[in-house]
Amino acid sequence: MVDTVQPVRTGPAPSATAWHGSGVGTQIVILAGRAVRPVFLRPSRLVVSLIQPFVMLGLFSQVFRSMADTPLFPPDVSYINYLVPAILFTTATTVSAQAGVGMTSDMRNGVLARFRSMPVRTFSVLTARSIADLARGALELTVMIIMALLIFGFDPPGGLLGTAVAMLLALAVGWSLGWLFLALATWLRGSENVQACGILITMLLQFASSAFVPVASMPTYLRAVATVNPLSYGIDAARGLILGRPVGTSVVGTLAICLVLSAVCSVLAARGLDRTGR
Amino acid sequence: MIEALDVGKRFGKVTALDSVSLEVPRGSVLGLLGHNGAGKTTLVNILATMITPSSGTARVAGYDVVSDGSKVRQRIGLTGQFASVDEDLTGMANLVLIARLLGAGRQQARERADELLAAFDLSDAATRPVQGYSGGMRRRLDLAASLVGQPEVVFLDEPTTGLDPVSRNAMWAVVQRLVGDGTTILLTTQYLEEADRLADSIVVLSHGRVVAAGTSAAMKAGLGRRTVTARLRTNLEALDARTVLERGGLAPALDESRDSLIVPVQGFQDLSTIVRLLGEARIEPAEVALTEATLDDVYLALAADEHKVSV
Ligand SMILES: Nc1ncnc2c1ncn2[C@@H]1O[C@H](COP(=O)(O)OP(=O)(O)OP(=O)(O)O)[C@@H](O)[C@H]1O
Ligand SMILES: [Mg+2]
Repeated sequence: MVDTVQPVRTGPAPSATAWHGSGVGTQIVILAGRAVRPVFLRPSRLVVSLIQPFVMLGLFSQVFRSMADTPLFPPDVSYINYLVPAILFTTATTVSAQAGVGMTSDMRNGVLARFRSMPVRTFSVLTARSIADLARGALELTVMIIMALLIFGFDPPGGLLGTAVAMLLALAVGWSLGWLFLALATWLRGSENVQACGILITMLLQFASSAFVPVASMPTYLRAVATVNPLSYGIDAARGLILGRPVGTSVVGTLAICLVLSAVCSVLAARGLDRTGR
Repeated sequence: MIEALDVGKRFGKVTALDSVSLEVPRGSVLGLLGHNGAGKTTLVNILATMITPSSGTARVAGYDVVSDGSKVRQRIGLTGQFASVDEDLTGMANLVLIARLLGAGRQQARERADELLAAFDLSDAATRPVQGYSGGMRRRLDLAASLVGQPEVVFLDEPTTGLDPVSRNAMWAVVQRLVGDGTTILLTTQYLEEADRLADSIVVLSHGRVVAAGTSAAMKAGLGRRTVTARLRTNLEALDARTVLERGGLAPALDESRDSLIVPVQGFQDLSTIVRLLGEARIEPAEVALTEATLDDVYLALAADEHKVSV
């Protein structure tokens, strides 16, 4: 294969022309592009990820509609307006769990091993992955809101601005949870447990929260979980925004939780990745 | 260019490496031989900064692999034991990705990828996803990927495992060419022929320890493993011949099944001694041959010693 073709530069490059690694910013852009690409390259994946919010909206608005008639439910609120903020957050959580799954497959097929023998920073690899899923989340949430507006009679009293801010808040929560799942994936060293753990955590976060039913209606033990769940705070804030009610400090509070969660989990994820194979 | 000093590595209770030292001068090839689990991959991973040693120090291209890991990574290429390419991407996209991460511009990256794909006979498959590649194609892409940045030091962990003879020869040609261009190479292999062909010097690992080191020639000579094989026509003749040679001060071993005598010798002059002794006794062998010890002999001898110790 070698002697039949034109000469190829094989030996060491003269140091002046050698490539010694691109900057962190460039690395993140390149790696994030790689991480998002499969979603857009394979139309089937894209369609599935867009169908999901549709199904969620349809399912929940039908199954839990009767919730709106219970005495604990806030009066003068249509169930769909109550539901959309919740689904913004549960969808964001599901998307962020994908960050862990993507990382797991990279760890398995050896791509990460190659990056680790190259001048590529651990931080770039992880950040790229989390940014890719942020982009995917933004797409899904936008589609979801449009569907809710067009098909499900979503009519936010808080207006489009309130809805947009609520969506950004959901993305912030999703992004910080993405770091949690990345940390999980790196510490479980890419085993199949990641998926199972991811589903478990996602379920717990989604259901033991103020997402679908008021926290006050829950049994005591679930109420305890719901009150420490970052999703509850985010959803309460987003509900305030979408229903056009005063939000107080809940937006700032949610962002603070996100910041702490991402800071802690990003350090953990980097540690986990660096210790792979040690 | 590569120096390891007393490098040790423990994984929990398993001692994968136990005080391994070796040196590879610039522009030369070191062949690292060893059975499964000897610690070859562990050593390569330490030198390529993938894992940290539990003890000892190592320098690659002048930089410490622990404290200056990022400097080392800028100067090495690693082809691991298992292919590490992105299945979802095409061969082309894989190489472009790596070139871009190394700091090449879009255009440069494409040119470099084209060049390597052509050199590794992958041009036709360039735009197909790696998922559809054969094992050998993957391996070649993997090697190409580790050469994108024209590294000063290249680590090849069992580069020809799973390749057909044609691809293997091609891989050997690549290695020889890299060395010709001044690249320093450390390759691990289970194939003794491969180490013999490619390596300037050889290190044999066993249970995480260096059990033999040196040039392949010195290693063979040191074991005194040159032999003369004389095949006689009948069993009786073989017995006679043995007596004659023993009287002549040699130590022939009789291989009864083939009516042959196997005589360990020092060098060429012993061959003429054998011919003379047999001639004087009027014994006419069917065949006489002086054989160089192969690396297999070295390896089997070491393995035999090993066995004796552990029993
Ligand atoms: N991550 C790890 N955790 C625990 N033990 C390990 C790990 N990596 C390697 N080992 C152990 O270290 C020893 C050396 O393994 P290594 O992979 O270096 O061998 P090798 O010479 O490359 O073998 P092979 O020819 O099979 O590739 C083995 O006993 C192996 O089980
Ligand atoms: Mg190995």
